[in-house]
Amino acid sequence: MLAIVRKQLRNHPALIPLFIFIGGGATMSLLYLARLGLRNPDVCWDRKNNPEPWNKLGPNDQYKFFTVNMDYSKLKKDRPDF
Amino acid sequence: MAHPSQLGFQDAASPVMEELLHFHDHALMIVFLISTLVLYIIVAMVTTKLTNKFILDSQEIEIIWTLLPAIILILIALPSLRILYLMDEINDPHLTIKAMGHRWYWSYEYTDYEDLGFDSYMIPTQDLAPGQFRLLETDHRMVVPVESPIRILISAEDVLHSWAVPSLGVKMDAVPGRLNQTAFIASRPGVFYGQCSEICGANHSFMPIVVEAVPLEHFENWSSLMLEDA
Repeated sequence: MLAIVRKQLRNHPALIPLFIFIGGGATMSLLYLARLGLRNPDVCWDRKNNPEPWNKLGPNDQYKFFTVNMDYSKLKKDRPDF
Repeated sequence: MAHPSQLGFQDAASPVMEELLHFHDHALMIVFLISTLVLYIIVAMVTTKLTNKFILDSQEIEIIWTLLPAIILILIALPSLRILYLMDEINDPHLTIKAMGHRWYWSYEYTDYEDLGFDSYMIPTQDLAPGQFRLLETDHRMVVPVESPIRILISAEDVLHSWAVPSLGVKMDAVPGRLNQTAFIASRPGVFYGQCSEICGANHSFMPIVVEAVPLEHFENWSSLMLEDA
């Protein structure tokens, strides 16, 4: 399968950017989906040991992938413990 | 507010809306360039006298028309994602206001310091004073201090509504039983209009939203007056 692709690439090198962009796009989407599944506190995988991860949010943690203007580590914790 | 035969967005009254405007200009410029290019190619193809029946393929042009669109898409995606994450940030609001959608009016509650709440009904067309805007004015405006981050908690008491003010770049659905949060900063004093943006029955078009941004002293005077009247 790979040998056939390599032969076609040698005759049609224009396919190389196509592989790069489509492959890169698919990889980035799958990685982001995996990050959402594994790191998002709204997702529960282990009902016995970690049943409600959304109740364990820290006030200074960053859960979003990217922040433009906010620095979560500098936030003050101005709410009561319970 | 919107004016007749308006084509573009309303003037921005908040930093987020400014960003959205600039991004829209950027994306629209790219769209115009591509459309012009395609139109030119179509006209050129239709009016040419050149014919060549023996072209089979060309690797160079294939590389170009794979690379260029991919680069253009990346140039659109990066600012877009940046604005998406920017809109979600709520940086230390000075005031929290609850906006509740009813059939067919909005009610606002300012409960940070005192218990201030009031309803905001549309002024019927026959009761408008000269200079007021039809279907947009309300009897009580939601007054906010200018240049302060305001957090709005939006919900509904009966059916779905949506609290939208285009010049502030805010739109958030009001779902019964759910509390949605959004925030804005009014960069300049003024009166900003919006309309309910989720179909909610017979008078869906007749429950507008008016946000009035004033300096802090005026806001404090207004809230004292409203508390006395209540």
